[in-house]
Amino acid sequence: MEDPVAQLIARCAAADRAAFRTLYRDTSAKLMGVLLRMLKERAEAEDALQEVYTRVWLRAARFDPAKGRGMTWLIAIARNLAIDRLRARPEAASDEGLDTVQDATPRAETRLIAKGEARRMADCFETLEPDRAQAVRGAYLEGMSYHDLAARHGVPLNTMRTWLRRSLLKLKECLDA
Amino acid sequence: MTDAPLTPEEADDALAAEYVLGVLDLAERAEAEARIRRDPGFAARVGDWEARMAGLNDDFAEAPAPDLMPKIEARLFPQAPAPARQGRGFSFGWFAGAALAAVLVLATVATLAPPRPEPVATLATADRRLSYQITHFGGTLQVARVAGVPAVPGQVHQLWIIAPGASPVSLGLLEDKPLVIDYPVPPPGFIFAVSIEPEGGSPTGLPTGPVILTATVGETT
Repeated sequence: MEDPVAQLIARCAAADRAAFRTLYRDTSAKLMGVLLRMLKERAEAEDALQEVYTRVWLRAARFDPAKGRGMTWLIAIARNLAIDRLRARPEAASDEGLDTVQDATPRAETRLIAKGEARRMADCFETLEPDRAQAVRGAYLEGMSYHDLAARHGVPLNTMRTWLRRSLLKLKECLDA
Repeated sequence: MTDAPLTPEEADDALAAEYVLGVLDLAERAEAEARIRRDPGFAARVGDWEARMAGLNDDFAEAPAPDLMPKIEARLFPQAPAPARQGRGFSFGWFAGAALAAVLVLATVATLAPPRPEPVATLATADRRLSYQITHFGGTLQVARVAGVPAVPGQVHQLWIIAPGASPVSLGLLEDKPLVIDYPVPPPGFIFAVSIEPEGGSPTGLPTGPVILTATVGETT
């Protein structure tokens, strides 16, 4: 499958700075979207975006196109950085984003139907109980922690953890089938 | 769905999934990251989960990003020498031309001679009981401990580079083997620092533990 992002990352690994600029031009809006959604603050998202591309350049040689698409790799770097920053925030601050969690879900559902991979994902989410599917989404898309999820669903943290672990294994069974 | 306890395999897989989802707290996350580094089987599980969850990536809407490339490049690529100025009259042009020719000759000689490690900085305590030597060699920075011992078990020395006015950027963990990083020659004024971090390195991408050594580029002994 054609993967122009993967090709650009490979050229970055060969220290091609023009390719690095093209990569930024073509992918920064997506990564900014990821960082804004998770960090919720533009100034912090912009600061994180610089750090993400710094890491992309320094780690480009570790990208293996056999293991996944270029954009998936970039988003993983952006999400990991955002989660590190969220977890490093004082605990009280992490509850603030809770209100915004719900609104993206229905739109997300319709857009998920568009692609094969995403459709499969949507079908597998259907096999989970709705509140658990929502917990998985909230964690992945908004960077919610167990602490946030337990508070949001009004259950003890350990219960949340048991739920989520079971749901994830069930999700895997469906996605890998 | 049964409530039987997870098998060890299932527990590993659930942990990999929790790491990818990002629900772990800071300490658990640092532990999972350390495990990714030392356990290829676990790292593969994490990779599989990243691929599995990629179906949700379409949900991230694009958002216009400002052009931060100049700042990113300033962090990553230390300043190239300024181009020769034009329009200072014939004599300057001639001089510049001659100087350029001389530089080209030197450059040719330099490329013919085998490359040698160039000292960049020395990071050492005042009593020299702990010392790291940083050299530049063949497009890489090489960092070797020349005196002292690594951090105590459960901790690690992490190396950072700091451009003037910018945040520290991690260059990697200093363990028993010399650290080799693809990196250009850092210009004078950039600062190296070593901090003590939990095993696996700083969980935040910025120094979290005490900074024990610093040196400015050009400070060597």
